[in-house]
Amino acid sequence: MEVFNNFLTGTITLFSDPVGILIFFGGVIGGMLFGAIPGVSMLTLAAILLPFTAHLSPEHGIMLFSVIYCTGVYGGAITAILFNIPGAPENAPTAFDGYPMTQKGQAGKAVGAAVMCSAIGGVVSCIIMMIATAPIADWAISAFGPPEIFALVFFGLAVASSVGAKTFWKGWLSILIGLMVAVVGLDPVGGIERYDFEMPYMLAGIHFIPTILGFFAVSEIFVQAEKKAIGSYKAPKMGVEFPTLKELLAHKVAVVRSIIIGFFCGILPGIGATLAAFMGYNEAVRWSKTPEEFGKGKLEGVISSETANNAATGAAMIPLLALGLPGGALTAMMVGVFQMHDMEPGPLVFMNSADLVWVVFAAMFFANVSIIFVGYLETKTIINLLRIPFQFLAPMILLLATVGAYAVRGLTIDVVVMFLAGIIGFFLRRSGYSVAGIVLGLILGKIGEQTFAQAMQMLHFEWSGYFDRPIALGLLIAGFLTLGGSIYGSFFKKPKSPSADPAS
Amino acid sequence: MGNLRTGHLVEGAIWLSLCLFLYAYSFEFDQGIEIYKFGATAWPRTIILLMAIAAIGQLYHHWKYGDEISSNIINAANDDGSEEAAHEAHHESLRWYLSTFALLVIPFAYMRIPDWIAGWLEADGSTLHVLRMVIAVILIGLFITQMKRNMVGAILALPLFFAVMLEDIGFYSLAPFFIVGVMFLFGETRPKPMAAIMGLIYGLLLLLFVKILFVGLPIGNIRPFYDFGSWVVTVLQ
Repeated sequence: MEVFNNFLTGTITLFSDPVGILIFFGGVIGGMLFGAIPGVSMLTLAAILLPFTAHLSPEHGIMLFSVIYCTGVYGGAITAILFNIPGAPENAPTAFDGYPMTQKGQAGKAVGAAVMCSAIGGVVSCIIMMIATAPIADWAISAFGPPEIFALVFFGLAVASSVGAKTFWKGWLSILIGLMVAVVGLDPVGGIERYDFEMPYMLAGIHFIPTILGFFAVSEIFVQAEKKAIGSYKAPKMGVEFPTLKELLAHKVAVVRSIIIGFFCGILPGIGATLAAFMGYNEAVRWSKTPEEFGKGKLEGVISSETANNAATGAAMIPLLALGLPGGALTAMMVGVFQMHDMEPGPLVFMNSADLVWVVFAAMFFANVSIIFVGYLETKTIINLLRIPFQFLAPMILLLATVGAYAVRGLTIDVVVMFLAGIIGFFLRRSGYSVAGIVLGLILGKIGEQTFAQAMQMLHFEWSGYFDRPIALGLLIAGFLTLGGSIYGSFFKKPKSPSADPAS
Repeated sequence: MGNLRTGHLVEGAIWLSLCLFLYAYSFEFDQGIEIYKFGATAWPRTIILLMAIAAIGQLYHHWKYGDEISSNIINAANDDGSEEAAHEAHHESLRWYLSTFALLVIPFAYMRIPDWIAGWLEADGSTLHVLRMVIAVILIGLFITQMKRNMVGAILALPLFFAVMLEDIGFYSLAPFFIVGVMFLFGETRPKPMAAIMGLIYGLLLLLFVKILFVGLPIGNIRPFYDFGSWVVTVLQ
């Protein structure tokens, strides 16, 4: 009852303030638009808006970012489905089946499923977040230390190695490139410069936003350019046929499973929605009776990925607000918003600024609900982007990506890095490597190294310490078993013939 | 040799050379950390070792199965048709790679050559600017002559060329030419649609980012481009 009263108070505060309403709807539409325009993402919008939040109240600033987070994660699915350009890494698995559906003329159905499942995942996650923040935060604080987080990162990477590339080895190499790129800059323990090649720019490390833009948006333009050069470029077919209720109900198990996966991945600091989406997708494949149909335009692939990543958004706020630990790039920017207002996210926020917390919770709940209504309307507009000839869309995407890469830090070298990442991504994609794997390695690499170092210091550099931590041990064993199974499969299982694969 | 082709061997050699290079470079920062006995190199060297193992595993896969796709993979990377497009376009030949490499060198030449010459001549700032413009014109000419032979290579190199010139020329002066260049390389040759789309994209970007969001884009540091960029910002803001 107390939760409901707090939620009601938050809702009244949110909708009784005209400025708050304006910021709320601005965030909903902006998050979806920036998530959905190829070449930019919610991170671009958040990076652009970050300096301006200093002029807003803390409630409005944090609320704006949380709304952008919810709707942006959904918006990124639209580009993933329509253009094979995930708006953010958490939408990468959505493209696996969403884009083949677009190529089959089922774009509307895929987007419709993304709308419904993003909203369902997000709303359920928000409700659980409101009810269970305190007990879950208490459990996470006591049960999840650096060894568990490192073990979870390892397990996540082991799972991701079998997604997206042509072979298991190429999947691993893709992830390892990402991990290696994450090494560039200062080492997290001693602050020692690594692979900086005596360039001051490299000291801060290679920023992930230009890299993501390069690997996804720019390399996609290059791939389309090559197709156009040989005349094999085909404009995606359009359709606005949304999935029926029956079709959605047929996937209720996938939805519930993805909500659980998404919520538990989202709640863990530093993991966020990306791993949730990959795990949601991977589990859908593992549980499926027809796993061979995934990657070729299966609705369940879109449903699993989109439910899981939006289910992680509500959960990701728990470590941020309860512990001050960001769960991903956007929640890291939220820490910046807090700091601009001389506040620190953490347990004190619940004590000193309970109003802020409940306005944010209410805003996130209604942002997820609004995905259903605004999402349907906006999707029909965005689907018309497919009518624009690619030679006119390409310069727009490249320039938006340029602004996105430049706006983060105001450095032209970030634009150079983005286009270099695009060129590297183009050649790697041609050779069957996974750009999603590279980006996942890049994002989880820093967290992985940091938590590994903390874990080893905690365990006095004794590996046997993991045997005393059942969750960490379980995750490590699960990761090694996944890896072992993949290695065994790559040596002893007969591969698929490319000619037998209709997608090829 | 099993099913191994020259391309597979080159791919394997690139990975192993990269591992060797990264490992050798790790000695540059091989320092101990008092509170962390693994030091700064343990993590990157583990990644390098895993990369080498994966590269050898990949070679083994090629040797045993050629280009076939692993059965335990959730297949996606090859679903975008990029490999097939490259194959159909005959963009797998050494000649194509060399031609693309030559185009990609042009932007890097713009990054380095003016500074080298300026250093050699002991030139001041304004001379360096003139030098940059002269070299830019020469390199643009070279790019135009080369791009006709390799349009895809040109599309890869053009954005990079645009990016390295942003600091000097600025976004406001360079963007219209970039838009036209990309459209042309994508096969659009009709002047009227090109001009209209260029105006539309340029106008929308200025409206959204400069007028509404006040995003500071590079205005350049060489006259008259700097003056033009400043003028656009002043007018819009």
